[in-house]
Amino acid sequence: MLIEARGLAKTYRLGQVDVQALRGVDVDVGAGEYIAITGPSGSGKSTLMHILGCLDTPSTGSYRLDGEDVGSLSGKRLAHVRNRKVGFVFQTFNLMPRLTVEENVALPLKYRGGVPRGERRARALALLERLGLGDRIGHRPDELSGGERQRVAIARALVGTPAILMADEPTGNLDSRAGAEVLATFAELHAAGHTIVLVTHDPGVAGRAQRVIQMSDGRVV
Amino acid sequence: MREWWKETLELVGDAVREIRGHKLRSLLTLSGIVFGAASVVSMTSLAAGMKQLVYDDLMAMGFSRSFVAYDRGPRSDVRTAAGLRHRGLRVADIEALRAMPGVETVHGRNFPREYVVNAPADRRRIRIEGVDAGYLELRNFRIVGGRSIRPLDVENRSRVAVVGSELVRELFGNAPPVGQTITVDGVRFLVIGIVAPIQFDIIPADFSFVARRIYIPYSYLTRYAQGGGRVDQALVTATPEANFAEVLRHGELLLRQRHGGADDFEIDNEAADVLSDLAMADNILGGWNAVMFTIAGVTLIVGGIGLFSVLLISVRERVREIGVRKALGADDNDIRRLFLVESLTLAFLGAVLGIGGGAGLTVVTELIGRQFGKPFAIPVSIPGVVLAVIFALAVGLLFGWYPARRAAKLDPIEAMGGV
Repeated sequence: MLIEARGLAKTYRLGQVDVQALRGVDVDVGAGEYIAITGPSGSGKSTLMHILGCLDTPSTGSYRLDGEDVGSLSGKRLAHVRNRKVGFVFQTFNLMPRLTVEENVALPLKYRGGVPRGERRARALALLERLGLGDRIGHRPDELSGGERQRVAIARALVGTPAILMADEPTGNLDSRAGAEVLATFAELHAAGHTIVLVTHDPGVAGRAQRVIQMSDGRVV
Repeated sequence: MREWWKETLELVGDAVREIRGHKLRSLLTLSGIVFGAASVVSMTSLAAGMKQLVYDDLMAMGFSRSFVAYDRGPRSDVRTAAGLRHRGLRVADIEALRAMPGVETVHGRNFPREYVVNAPADRRRIRIEGVDAGYLELRNFRIVGGRSIRPLDVENRSRVAVVGSELVRELFGNAPPVGQTITVDGVRFLVIGIVAPIQFDIIPADFSFVARRIYIPYSYLTRYAQGGGRVDQALVTATPEANFAEVLRHGELLLRQRHGGADDFEIDNEAADVLSDLAMADNILGGWNAVMFTIAGVTLIVGGIGLFSVLLISVRERVREIGVRKALGADDNDIRRLFLVESLTLAFLGAVLGIGGGAGLTVVTELIGRQFGKPFAIPVSIPGVVLAVIFALAVGLLFGWYPARRAAKLDPIEAMGGV
């Protein structure tokens, strides 16, 4: 199993009250799977994604990612795991406005350390070609359409050859045509063997995945 | 380590791009650091320039390797044994000093005394000074017409005169003075040259009296006017290689021996006077430097506070970006470095602009100096430039630290707006 999470629980303290965002969740994801996590807002799906994406650690429970126990890592180690094992795609793309498309895609490799500039470029260019953005490498993000931006973000997520690709409402800010393009890209990537975990509240988007994890009130239902 | 430098260099590139994205804000942020660096550079340059000018002026007076033996004149204790041996300073003493090792030149001199001078256009009392060949040149008095007094003039006790420039019109009217004859107490002298005072860049010494005197070979006065081979003064200049203190000690010893213990001359260490003048100039400039550095330091710190607040604003503006970078795998160190490099780049930029401004100020000072007829050069002080850069970088590091730390400590989820 690529992802092996057991009894994940997360409690936040909001002022005087404790909020239980997760109340004991087990998740298994095999290599090459395409999973959608879905549920209404407040169901805990975002918190689950943060923990699975190593942005956060569970209050209790264990989490093994790609054979490594990452449930209790410190901030610095967790950053390194994110850099190597996880690729993020966000709802609002979150590209760096001052960097070119190519520089945006190569950015995660900068934080890996020891990857020479030439190699970073080459890997970014190869991915952009593969995602049909080869003619956009020198552009700034604000010169691209929404669909193109999201595909740049996907290229950025993939540049570090992560174990899983995590997408948080990747079509939420796109019109239906651009959304369909992005979903088609996910389908291609899945076909090529990538493991994808997608978080969405849209049943139509969730329906494109192999398997749906339905969340409600901090539990998988 | 090389890797680290490469990465940092890339970060500097990113920082420059970020700064160019906020040109006006960056410029305003930097103004304090620019002024601080400019004042460091201009003040150190001015201080170093002034010091050099004072030094050049003092050296131009020709005393830096010199001591002077003065005749003490007749004394009241003529009835004591030493008093009976009292002979005063003599031409023979000058010859003896000249033969001493380590001595470059000895110039004999008779102090100016008033004589009645008869010239084509006027008859009046003028101070006549007896000088040795090369003395006018040694003191950097300027021969502005004709020639100076030469060794042969001194040897022959020639009746030749070099006239001060201010006297020319009064004594000769509009006629060219060189080649004319004047009489000094009825003795005819040939005018061979015109002399004008030394010009200083900066020290306020007044040598205009030079232009109101007439200079003749001291040997003439020694023989015919004052008589007895007595000279008023011997100016001894050591060779550059010689140990000046030794030459001074030996010179005094020699004269004491020659005078058999008579207290009929005294030694004045002119070089020490020059050194003490230099030390005084150093002191004044040192005080000036201390004041200026305090001002520059305060300006830089004020500049640092400006930098600090703008960096805090920048961190707040870029919270989301920081969150994304962290999500992509940047750790706290990466983020801290990102902002520290930006702070240092800004500070360095400020230093560069300030150094340019400071250098500009020295040029302006030179131009003003030229306006007032003082064409001195003020080179940009290299230590000042280095100091300005170090100061600015220290300010960048000091005031960039907290904003960078704050950026680094951001939680990625919160930073991305709780995505």
